[in-house]
Amino acid sequence: MRLAFRQFTSNPYTRLLGRYLKSQRLRVVGLALTLFFSIALQLINPQVLRYFIDTALNPEPGASLPQAALLFISIALITQGLTLMSTYLGETVAWQATNALRTDLAAHCLHLDLSFHQSRTPGELVERVDGDVTTLARFFAQFTLYILGNSLLLLGILAVLWLEDWRAGLSLTLFVLFAFGGLTRLLRFALPVWVAYRQLSARFFGFLSEYLAGREDLQANGSNGYVMHRFYQMLQQWLPIFHRARWAQTVLWSSSVALLTTGNIIALSVGAYLWSQQAITIGTVYLIFYYTNQLRQPMASILSELSDFQQAQASILRVQELLTTPSRLPPAGDRPLPSDALGVTFDHVGFSYDADPPHDWALQDVSWCLPAGQVLGVVGRTGSGKTTLTRLLLRFYAPQAGTISLGQVPLETVSPAGLRQRVGIVTQDVQLFQASVRDNLTLFDPAIEDGQIQHALEALGLLDWLRSHPQGLDTLLAADSGGLSAGEAQLLAFARIWLRNPSLVILDEASSRLDLLTERRVEQATQQLMQGRTGIIIAHRLSTLQHVDYILVLEQGKVVEYGPRQDLANQSTSRFARLLQRSQTVPPAL
Amino acid sequence: MTLPTPLPLWPLLWRLICYTPKLALVDAGLWLLISGVFPAIPGLIIQGYFDALTETAPLALSPLAFLGLLVATSVGEIVALFAGQWVRTQYRFNLRSLLRHNLLDQLLQQPGAQPLSIAEGPQRQTISPGEAISYFREDPELIEQTIVKTADLIGYGLFALGAIGLLLRLNPQITLMVFLPLAVISAAVQQAQQKIKQYRRASRRATQAVTGFLGEIFTAVQVLKATGTETAVLNHLNHLNGQRQQQMVKDRLLITVLNSGFENLTNLGIGFILLLMATGRTSATSGLSVGDFALFIYYLALVATAFRAFGQYLTWLKQTEVSFERLRALHRPDSLTEHRSSPAAAAFALVAHQPLYLAGLWGRQPPLPPLQPPHPEAPSHFKELAVVGLSYHYPHASRGIEAISFSLRRGSLTVITGPVGSGKTTLLRVLLGLLPRQTGTIYWNGQPVEHPATFFCPPRSAYTPQVPHLFSDTLRNNLLLELEKSDAALGEALRLSVFAQDVGAMPMGLATLVGTRGVRLSGGQRQRAAAARMLVRQPELLIFDDLSSALDVETEQSLWEGLFATGQATAAGRPTCLITSNRPDVLRRADRIIVLNEGRIEAMGRFDELPSLS
Repeated sequence: MRLAFRQFTSNPYTRLLGRYLKSQRLRVVGLALTLFFSIALQLINPQVLRYFIDTALNPEPGASLPQAALLFISIALITQGLTLMSTYLGETVAWQATNALRTDLAAHCLHLDLSFHQSRTPGELVERVDGDVTTLARFFAQFTLYILGNSLLLLGILAVLWLEDWRAGLSLTLFVLFAFGGLTRLLRFALPVWVAYRQLSARFFGFLSEYLAGREDLQANGSNGYVMHRFYQMLQQWLPIFHRARWAQTVLWSSSVALLTTGNIIALSVGAYLWSQQAITIGTVYLIFYYTNQLRQPMASILSELSDFQQAQASILRVQELLTTPSRLPPAGDRPLPSDALGVTFDHVGFSYDADPPHDWALQDVSWCLPAGQVLGVVGRTGSGKTTLTRLLLRFYAPQAGTISLGQVPLETVSPAGLRQRVGIVTQDVQLFQASVRDNLTLFDPAIEDGQIQHALEALGLLDWLRSHPQGLDTLLAADSGGLSAGEAQLLAFARIWLRNPSLVILDEASSRLDLLTERRVEQATQQLMQGRTGIIIAHRLSTLQHVDYILVLEQGKVVEYGPRQDLANQSTSRFARLLQRSQTVPPAL
Repeated sequence: MTLPTPLPLWPLLWRLICYTPKLALVDAGLWLLISGVFPAIPGLIIQGYFDALTETAPLALSPLAFLGLLVATSVGEIVALFAGQWVRTQYRFNLRSLLRHNLLDQLLQQPGAQPLSIAEGPQRQTISPGEAISYFREDPELIEQTIVKTADLIGYGLFALGAIGLLLRLNPQITLMVFLPLAVISAAVQQAQQKIKQYRRASRRATQAVTGFLGEIFTAVQVLKATGTETAVLNHLNHLNGQRQQQMVKDRLLITVLNSGFENLTNLGIGFILLLMATGRTSATSGLSVGDFALFIYYLALVATAFRAFGQYLTWLKQTEVSFERLRALHRPDSLTEHRSSPAAAAFALVAHQPLYLAGLWGRQPPLPPLQPPHPEAPSHFKELAVVGLSYHYPHASRGIEAISFSLRRGSLTVITGPVGSGKTTLLRVLLGLLPRQTGTIYWNGQPVEHPATFFCPPRSAYTPQVPHLFSDTLRNNLLLELEKSDAALGEALRLSVFAQDVGAMPMGLATLVGTRGVRLSGGQRQRAAAARMLVRQPELLIFDDLSSALDVETEQSLWEGLFATGQATAAGRPTCLITSNRPDVLRRADRIIVLNEGRIEAMGRFDELPSLS
């Protein structure tokens, strides 16, 4: 028992409990009162029974048997009421706490840098944010209270036994101490098995969600069989661990059966001995036996709580691990950005996705400076580092060398919220939520009004598209961009940016999926959007870059050329001029 | 069909039980012992003990002998427990894995480009892959639980019958009172049945909304970070969390009312017995010995437990029905491979017996079958593909394709072009069976194709979608997906997809981990990886959806040049390609251009025959 408590208090669990239960103190107190009251009833109930039986077997005049029976019935009714109340309170407390934890975990994951998300599937994270937390529900609602309440019940029963006969009291107290000592030790041995089990199930669900999302690719390339193959492999790994985890449970369970029998044997032997010494009556022998059996319930409760706790522990460890996963980004500053259009400076920037030690540089010694209000076009083959450039600008990653500044302010000193408010990006991958058109555009920000949305859609020529849906902004979009063409999805992503009114706009191959007609429409819209703003456009079609002010040519992470577009275009030896020439050998438009 | 047809729950469960008949039988036997026989014995021993102490026993055994019997019973129980749990673990794992297997199999058979969806009345509601997880997680485990607990329940039933029989001999009137609560329980569960199912459905749906949204959040991390909308999204999550809490608390409260009701009703029953005894209407009570009395109380408590288990089982049955309904709702009647039209057949597909290749109880692990290509037999030599009157319309939207007819010959390059939303991708998807066609016929060498989804696979055809999906694994595994190909073949595919240089520059080469959805690769690299994945399968017909969208002009040109140069060198001739593109230089290469507009073919011909293009 004491062991269990030490184990409990010495861990971060108490902190977790305190953190998520503090806000609902009243409910927790109510829950505690309800539980303690029903425990008290459990101690009274047998007394009523005993009174009844004693009087029934040896009728005395003036005994109030019907009252005793009625008392028994009313206790049963009150217990029912208390059970309901404690369930309601317990569930509410648990859900409040776990929901808060879910949100905190989701927030923390969102806060982590992209390298964290690159190594984990969304399904795996769902399992960790929801699956693990769900197993914690009982821990929050009942764990401490049940342990405490049942310990009180246990002590109460032992006290009654001491009162009946000290020898019975002593032997059963020793028994209880011994039993808990052994069982808590067993619990600890089982913990790593459960951690392993939960780890594997998280991987399994991660596997599922990833492959279900890629059904189109798998089916058309005849690889459904491959998924099933992976599924079988996963099952084969899972079964032995499942066996081990359940084995640990069985050991615990059968130990409690053995202990219970031991308890009964002790009680009955002590009873037989005292009876043969004529120290007690047969009624007392029965009472000792009865109370020993009564020990069963609190002991079983405490054990099942501890065993649930053991499973929860695995989850707690994983939750804790997730919560303490640090962002690889150095801590952010809190300087505001100047309020007008932002100039961009890259000063000897170097970056590698493999952090320690950095090698295989994605960007190397990159320096350029874009004045505020100008538009830069970035050209380069795929894999030349164009997208990395934008990721650094949004501070998804921090460069290992050099400095990036926005409006003369070094990026690492800018507050992240401020940065993201002022920088907008459209990439070629458009993520849609299974939510209304409105929520997909505002990204669940209720502060953005319908009028603004209409305006943005109008500017992008999407009003007709919206009108073709009778439910308008309330139209539900499906996950996996079902029902939307890739081009339409990209136009919606443009509208998202439009609504956020950023000072620096980055378009990362954003028009790649559009046909020329639509692209022209977007281009007009883009020019409008770029007015009074700084812009960076990454494109592989040079026609997209007709209206930019500067050109940056990247090759294998290095700057090949940088300068005003006009200058580079006129300079026939420049790489940009050669690219232009090449693209003009094919007709410029459809 | 607006009302869900009732499910044949028992036949479904029975079919599952029959999956591992031996395990089921042994499990049932052991758990009958554990829940039905072992709990009954200590009561009798204790009765004997007390009667021996007070010397009213018919048998002349000493009290200590009874203690010995108690120890023996306990040892027996523990042995049975170990064996029972061991067998049950195996049994449970088989059951849940079979359900998960069939579910996964079923989802993979659905048209791949159609988002996963569930039937809600006559309509279908799309769900995200994250939401689909909740179907794999809880529902199979609940069904499994109900099945394995059936044996326990029978054990409890046997015990209750035996106990009641014994008690009847001791005192019939009192014992009969015990049956009263049972009747009340059954009536209560019957009454609550609708509510149990309704609450369960609502709470499952609310859970699914949360897991689905979480999945979407983690898929769209980059967008959320870039737009700084984390807070707004978390607020929405909180809102969904709140709804789930409300539904879950309701669900749990109802279940608690019923469960604790079972227990307390029995207590009430005892109370009434006491009242009966107290008012002196039964004189029989005076004849009870201390041993009889101990037995009475001991058994009553256990009978109460049995009743409670019975009630809980009834609730589980209702919840299981909901789980089966949910799993069945994932099934699409228009699933292309088989026309399982009846809803009952859809449910039975969930419990169909399939090999799982699990190790047996004694640890023998059967080897996995070698991975077979979908069409191991040599394909018909491709000559011509013809499409006649193909139509498809997205639900709730006017978009789609209408009456598309065209044909293409071996060795030709066919380009589908047209503005955004004109149906280019849709056309490819419908042709490949990734979306279910609504009308039209597809002919391969003049033979109609019944099931395009299973027909259009390597070695006949392969496909690179517009936004290819890569999986968090090594590059090699992503390209091969366990296909057995020589390094030379793989190298050739890399060269043709203009990806070899990139791979060469990666320090880990083909062993590079590409990250979730391939995020560690650039957009263009992902697309060329997908192209290599397609080329290494050496299909007769190559289908690219807008390959150029993530490639720069130079890379794309070298890709086409490489592709057509090989064709001339080999006996197979030029590869046959069907692609979508809006790039002029691609259009000029085409043998035939199909111009789509608003889902219909507007024009067809070569580049110079189509003045609208230039």
